[in-house]
Amino acid sequence: MQLDVIKSPSGPMRNFQTRATLLLAGILLVVAGPAWAQGTPGGQTEAYRSFPLIGSRLAVWGAAQLHLYFAAFILGVPMFAIIVEFIGWRTQDTRYDWLARQFMKLTFAAYSATALLGGLLTFIFITLYPRFFGYLVEIFGPTMWMYAGLFFVETFTLYLYYYGWDWLSGPRKGIHLGLGVLLNIWGTILMFVANAWLTFMMSPSGVDEAGKLTSLWGAIYNPTWMPINVHRLIANITFGGAIVAAYAAFRFLGARTDEERAQYDWMGYVGNFVAVSSLLFLPFAGYWLGREIYAFNQTMGITMMGGFMSWLWVVQAILIGVLFIGSNYYLWLGMERIPGSERYRPYIPYLVMILAAGFIVWATPRSMVATLEETRAMGGTHHPVLGVLGVMSAKNTAVNLMILTTFVSFLLYRRANRVATVSWVRSGMTAQWIIMGVAAAVVTFYGVYGYFVESIVRIGFSVYQVLSVLAAIVCVMAIDFPMFRRARSTGAIRWGQIAPRSQYVLILLAVSFTWLMGLMGFARSGIRQHWHVYGILRDTSPEAVTPALGYAANMITAVTAIFLAFVVLIFWLGGLGERGAKG
Amino acid sequence: MRVPLIVKVGTFALAVMGVYAYYANSIPQIQSTLPEELSLEGGNVTPEQLVKAGEGIFKGKGTCEICHRIGQKGTRAPDLAGIGAAAAKRKPGMSAKAYIIESLLDPGAYLVEGYPGIMPKVDRPPIGLNRSELWATVAFLQSMAGTVDVKLDDIPKTAGAVVGAEGAAQGAELKLPGDPKAGQVVFMGKGACIACHKAGAIGASPIGPDLSQIAKIQTPEYIMAKILDPAGMGTVAGYPPNLMPPTLGQTLTAKEYIDLVSFLLTLKGEASAQAPAASKR
Ligand code: HEC
Ligand code: HEC
Ligand code: HEM
Repeated sequence: MQLDVIKSPSGPMRNFQTRATLLLAGILLVVAGPAWAQGTPGGQTEAYRSFPLIGSRLAVWGAAQLHLYFAAFILGVPMFAIIVEFIGWRTQDTRYDWLARQFMKLTFAAYSATALLGGLLTFIFITLYPRFFGYLVEIFGPTMWMYAGLFFVETFTLYLYYYGWDWLSGPRKGIHLGLGVLLNIWGTILMFVANAWLTFMMSPSGVDEAGKLTSLWGAIYNPTWMPINVHRLIANITFGGAIVAAYAAFRFLGARTDEERAQYDWMGYVGNFVAVSSLLFLPFAGYWLGREIYAFNQTMGITMMGGFMSWLWVVQAILIGVLFIGSNYYLWLGMERIPGSERYRPYIPYLVMILAAGFIVWATPRSMVATLEETRAMGGTHHPVLGVLGVMSAKNTAVNLMILTTFVSFLLYRRANRVATVSWVRSGMTAQWIIMGVAAAVVTFYGVYGYFVESIVRIGFSVYQVLSVLAAIVCVMAIDFPMFRRARSTGAIRWGQIAPRSQYVLILLAVSFTWLMGLMGFARSGIRQHWHVYGILRDTSPEAVTPALGYAANMITAVTAIFLAFVVLIFWLGGLGERGAKG
Repeated sequence: MRVPLIVKVGTFALAVMGVYAYYANSIPQIQSTLPEELSLEGGNVTPEQLVKAGEGIFKGKGTCEICHRIGQKGTRAPDLAGIGAAAAKRKPGMSAKAYIIESLLDPGAYLVEGYPGIMPKVDRPPIGLNRSELWATVAFLQSMAGTVDVKLDDIPKTAGAVVGAEGAAQGAELKLPGDPKAGQVVFMGKGACIACHKAGAIGASPIGPDLSQIAKIQTPEYIMAKILDPAGMGTVAGYPPNLMPPTLGQTLTAKEYIDLVSFLLTLKGEASAQAPAASKR
């Protein structure tokens, strides 16, 4: 139904040329890097050069973060698209196919931005941090080639996938979906390769004490590689969904007809649904990552959670609290457009209470700090309130209960306009509540018990907590699907009839999520402190001091604002195309 | 006038981020500071000064307080109050001094009962204490209920020195206020080192050892001392003794000396990397 402007004759060619040029430039940079890095007279590599005005650190920080945002966008949105396309294929609901396609269109523009920023980042590394980059090339040279190659293959697949949409429809839809999956596989491998470099900087392995490479695979498969891979993969899906939802919200708010409103309301809902369902898994992946960091180097782990970064986790907690509470609030607001949902309204205050309590606990800072100066800054080693709530046991419990609560919100939303007709409704529902009750009890039990054991044992407990929550979600859904299969409907969802403030919630979620990504990127690179490669290559530049949180927050805000402005621009361009096609 | 949607949404987004940034700015601002190198060699330090320096390292660069408390039992690592005396009883036949040194350089050799072997070797990166710092730290630990009798020579010469290429030496190199380029001039001119030494791309004389890799194979302390007192630092195997002039300490100015050392510390034997670069130019 949607005819695309990109099909106009001059469009694709121009796009292709720009992109090919960029790609070439990127490859050249990567390849020329080592030679360039060593090319100072006398053979000695100059370690640093400085960037005018803002300094090298901010330059590399800004470029890296923007590049990452766009990369997350072009990885996350296609994941979202393929999920949605698949749903459309199975349900034969053309809205989904339209939605997937819309988003692939937006991915195109973001793709060029990613390549451009990637080139810029490489350039900055080569010129401003030649010795450090030279070292990374020495270790990871072959994988950098692979990276460039993958990027090429991915671009090609993207073209096939996007332009083959009509051709590969109908009976050939399966092939098209296959291409979409392939596209995501390339993207994921690409990210894994890049993750190897940055996790190596944090937890180097595969090298000897002097930093000489002993095993490339060892360097790639360093202790934090897999946890970061998984954490980011999930985060990217969430990010894709959140951005889609925000886009829909924006269009909803600007819509002129009820039909448009209905369409974008629905789109926002789907985006948010994908985002929230993947968000539920992030804490688990996060704890795994945290545990690996501890296992790799206690000092680093403690610096991260209790040292100069301890306050960062308070800010992280506030953002995560906003994400959880925001997504629940959106679901509750959404229930108002569903006839029959009145039945569930009384539950909401309780859900709010659990979420608020969980939020407070999760946001309580941990009391352990590293130096006297920091202790003073935080107000004593054993702050009266922080002492009890600020430990991992309490936090794990809180976040697991918040996940369960969000899940309950979703369940209520799901059944808002349905009345189950199967004969075993009563026992089914009872079983569901028991399962969730048991999961909550297991979580709480280990949470309390955690206070009485050593931290090494306690870390193991979080696994049981997580597993019980996951198991509960799976079991409850396994009951829910058959139970509501032939449910009686109390009325169709009135898409488009949702309070406009719900749309601001979606935008809030997307902004918070993006900002959170920036913050966590700072956490990852900040815990290395004055090391480029932890314990191996020291940062001896004048800017080796890791800045405090306020400074970082200002920088993150600036970069996020730039990113969002770019995204708006891209969306606007996309909108232009649509108008053109209609006219 | 109606406010355009983009302005409304943009303001909203900025406000949200503004709140986050405001909050992040309102909480305690903690920077991660850089560790500084401490060198006590050659100078006269009293035991009191040493202990004081050691305490500073314990709380600062050593990051010992991440795990250890003094006078307070932690779950992570043993209380170090009274360690000066307790150390004598840990391993039969081992003096307090020897035990403390061992527990810093090879923490896994003896585990205090009830604690996991998580303590890092403190002379290795990322903590990377040098010999002077180790000396002071040991003195500080001894000062807690023991007698401070540790000498610099008690700290093994190998401690803190191994990580030449990219780690410690590089850190030391940039800590020196000297200018390697000026140092190279001294090397070729006033110091006349070039008459006997090769250094990377410059020089070819076989009289003295090739210094192209000196920063990698030797510690900064050794290099500094060797210039001032060649005979006192022993003779490199395979070379004649007493050939290297002993008067450099008198003839070079302080600036020339520092520049020269800075230059020597850049010599890391990247010979293989030089060749292609040179041919490219
Ligand atoms: C990551 C945590 C950690 C850090 C950092 C750490 N230690 Fe330890 N330390 C331990 C643990 C655990 C033990 C007990 C197990 C053992 O003997 O190795 C210990 C044992 C010791 C002992 C022997 C104590 C005894 O009672 O026998 C000394 C002395 C010591 N540490 C000194 C230091 C100093 C000095 C520093 C800083 C330069 C330091 N430690 C940094 C964890 C740490
Ligand atoms: C007359 C020749 C001569 C001159 C001039 C000379 N050296 Fe040497 N140097 C030697 C010889 C021979 C050795 C090896 C024997 C020894 O260790 O004393 C040596 C050893 C060294 C070593 C130790 C090398 C190692 O591998 O441990 C260093 C460092 C050094 N010289 C630096 C310098 C510097 C810097 C200068 C200039 C200020 C200089 N030398 C000038 C002859 C010379
Ligand atoms: C509710 C729980 C959590 C959420 C919602 C969450 C969310 C995120 C997000 C969105 C990112 C950015 C991903 C990207 O750049 O692609 C991220 C990265 C990160 N997270 Fe989490 N996280 C959670 C828990 C944790 C925990 C418990 C830890 C560690 C103790 C942790 C450590 C990190 C680190 C170190 C990064 C940096 C990765 C990088 O960008 O390079 N996270 N997290």
